[in-house]
Amino acid sequence: MKPWLSFVLALVCAGNILAADVSADFVAANKLYAEGKFTEASAAYAAILKTGAQSRALLFNAGNAAFKAGHLGQAVAAYRQAELLSPRDAELWANLAFVRNQVQGATLRESRWQNWGTMLTLNEGAILTTAFFWALFVLLAVRQLRPALTPKLHSVTRLLAALTLFSGTVLALQAANRFNAAIAVVTSVETIARSGPFDEAQSVFTARDGAELKILDRHADWVQVADSAGKIGWFSQKQVAVLPGA
Amino acid sequence: MRLNLKTLAMLLAVLLPGAVWAAAFTASLDRDTLTLGERATLSLAFEGGLPGNVSLPQVTGLHMEQVGNSSQNTFDFSGHGTTVTTYLIAVAPQQTGEFTIPAINAEINGQKFSSRPLKLIVGKAIAPSAAAVNSGDQLAFLKLVLPKAKIYVGEPMVAYLELYVRDDVQPNGNFQMTSSPTDGFNAGKITEQRNQRRVQIGNHVYTIIPLALPLSAVKTGSLALGPFTATISVLQGSHEGDPFAQLGSRSPFFHGEQKQVTLATEALNIESLPLPQQNQPANFSGAVGQFDLAASAGPTTVTVGDPITVRVQVSGRGALDAVTLPAQDAWKNFKTYPPTTKLETTDQFGFQGTKTYEQIISPLNNDVQELPALTFSFFNPEDGQYHTLTQPAVPLTVKAAGTSPMPQIAATKTSNEEKPAQDILPIKENLGTLVANKMPLVAQPAFYAAQAVPVLAFLAAFVWRKRTDNLANNPRLRRQRAVAALIASGKDDLKKYAAANQPDEFFATLFRLLQEQLGERLDCPASAITEDVVDGHARLRNAPAALRIALHEQFQLCNQTRYAPVRGSSELNSVAAQFEKLLGELQNLKS
Repeated sequence: MKPWLSFVLALVCAGNILAADVSADFVAANKLYAEGKFTEASAAYAAILKTGAQSRALLFNAGNAAFKAGHLGQAVAAYRQAELLSPRDAELWANLAFVRNQVQGATLRESRWQNWGTMLTLNEGAILTTAFFWALFVLLAVRQLRPALTPKLHSVTRLLAALTLFSGTVLALQAANRFNAAIAVVTSVETIARSGPFDEAQSVFTARDGAELKILDRHADWVQVADSAGKIGWFSQKQVAVLPGA
Repeated sequence: MRLNLKTLAMLLAVLLPGAVWAAAFTASLDRDTLTLGERATLSLAFEGGLPGNVSLPQVTGLHMEQVGNSSQNTFDFSGHGTTVTTYLIAVAPQQTGEFTIPAINAEINGQKFSSRPLKLIVGKAIAPSAAAVNSGDQLAFLKLVLPKAKIYVGEPMVAYLELYVRDDVQPNGNFQMTSSPTDGFNAGKITEQRNQRRVQIGNHVYTIIPLALPLSAVKTGSLALGPFTATISVLQGSHEGDPFAQLGSRSPFFHGEQKQVTLATEALNIESLPLPQQNQPANFSGAVGQFDLAASAGPTTVTVGDPITVRVQVSGRGALDAVTLPAQDAWKNFKTYPPTTKLETTDQFGFQGTKTYEQIISPLNNDVQELPALTFSFFNPEDGQYHTLTQPAVPLTVKAAGTSPMPQIAATKTSNEEKPAQDILPIKENLGTLVANKMPLVAQPAFYAAQAVPVLAFLAAFVWRKRTDNLANNPRLRRQRAVAALIASGKDDLKKYAAANQPDEFFATLFRLLQEQLGERLDCPASAITEDVVDGHARLRNAPAALRIALHEQFQLCNQTRYAPVRGSSELNSVAAQFEKLLGELQNLKS
């Protein structure tokens, strides 16, 4: 057998074995959940996620197990990560909303445009914008090759130009939000925000498990956050899950 | 004379800017002891030039920030002038202790300087003793007032921070809380209240400015609230003769000495009691306060599957934010959709008001005859009892006819409504597609490179269109290209006829090619070209003599073929070669 063919086959087999392992671990974690062993199930889902495997169902179930085990913050974090993969999943919204409803104290609420802008994943938005962009330029090229078609294609060209501009703007906003903004979800029962990035700093406010806060700055293992009331403080990263912007 | 010397020195300073004055650098603190919440000012003075490469040291527990700079020109007695530039750095301690600001390095005019380390002691703000307060010596002080010492977990309460300001000082509008320890509480924003009052303490009258702090305990046990610390800037002076002071209002004419006062309260303990387990209703969902319940439903005559809107209003005083509508087990014959909620508060702390739920339900069968009674339980901290409110059942008429489409209200992401009250949706049984955790497309250079493809395609089409249009609008160019194509195929024909020793066809083709090429060059019809044109056309008359001779030869060869004997292939090939050479010269001829 040729060496390159052996290499490809080895890669394919390794991928299948990995998927089979993840699938078996997933079923085992589901079983723990069904038996009511939520803490163990949560740990089992977390162990699978630690391998780098990700799927909507895996994150969804991890969120469910964390919630049932009493870890609201971990549940919110898992659901929000699942939301990045599958932003239009009504079941996911329902569970996320349910868990958020249990969170006490001030928490960040997404603005209307953020909710609207995240109806597509970043990749879906990129593909849609690319499709409009390609179609627009193909149409422009056709107009050059067949000038007689230009009057007929005029309105379609304008529509495609508008769609490209619109979807490109939304994509840019979405990307800016993803890469520049970040969210901290409190994963401890009660976390004290400090006035500076060190344990001895004064306490500024207290956030409860599951509270979502906007990250303003980072320093070593600390993140500076603002809650919905505008209070600003520093959290150790051990007390929060840091997620990309929605 | 002295004045003249000084003037001369100043002139020298202006005329000799490159003169080297002694450079110096010093760092100093305006104070070396302060309490937490206060700020010190670090001054970095650079003498003899502007500094370069100054970096502030990082001291754990101290926050340093440049707040300004100043520049001052000074002249000594001998008339030497120098400029002192001072950077002002605000130093805000974030914890108590003794700090050392290490030596700061600076470079002035290429010379390197180093300041000496500075010590700063930060102490804890301590509330003044009762004796100190009662003496009336305090310019201002802060007092924490609690309405009660025992509360139930989740019970809302408003604590007050009372700011006492003595009558001979005036707040300078710079009150700032520096520490608000509320561990174990869910605390709201501290807001100033309007109901100020005055009180006599010692020999002075104090104005009390109340600051409200809404809070509720989130855990049980003995919880410490405070000490709260703050700073305030005041102006101290006399109000004597000030008409505004007599009216008890702030005076625009008041000018006194500005002082910064550090304020601190005592820490107070609050006993947070757990909600009793005894007699706790099964449907209790954590509501603490005093509430009333109102409910309505409509329409009451529906077919199976039709929506019925149930409107529930919980009004009263308590932690309304935390109030949730309990699961209604008696609604098992209805399909329920997530309720929407609306909170309307009537006080500034959000403790008093009405929370309204609107929920869509639809009967699952026509056996349903009523909307069962709706119950809501809460704990009243005033009497320490649980109370259950019940709204009576609503009679319904449900017909068995076809179903109507349900309204699309379920779980819209844009709403802030409360979600299903029962439980989360169950887990997924299938793992689904595993997703590689890789960079999004927009972060990959290949994505942007791919966008160049349609742009290049368009540009290619654009260039093609321009060239086509250009050709269409230029008949000479078009003819030039047509002749070039004709000549290219004609050359092959010549070689073919030469090889086959067909002189008639050879010379006929040669003559035609000569006509076409000359016609194109001279911009006249090919059929009009004869040997006469070589000497007759102005452009050819100016051509090199060798070219004209060669043209004559070619025309004459073509004419002689009718009379001359049959030629051999080698001679025809030779003629073809001469023709090709002639073509090259003709194509170089300017048209």
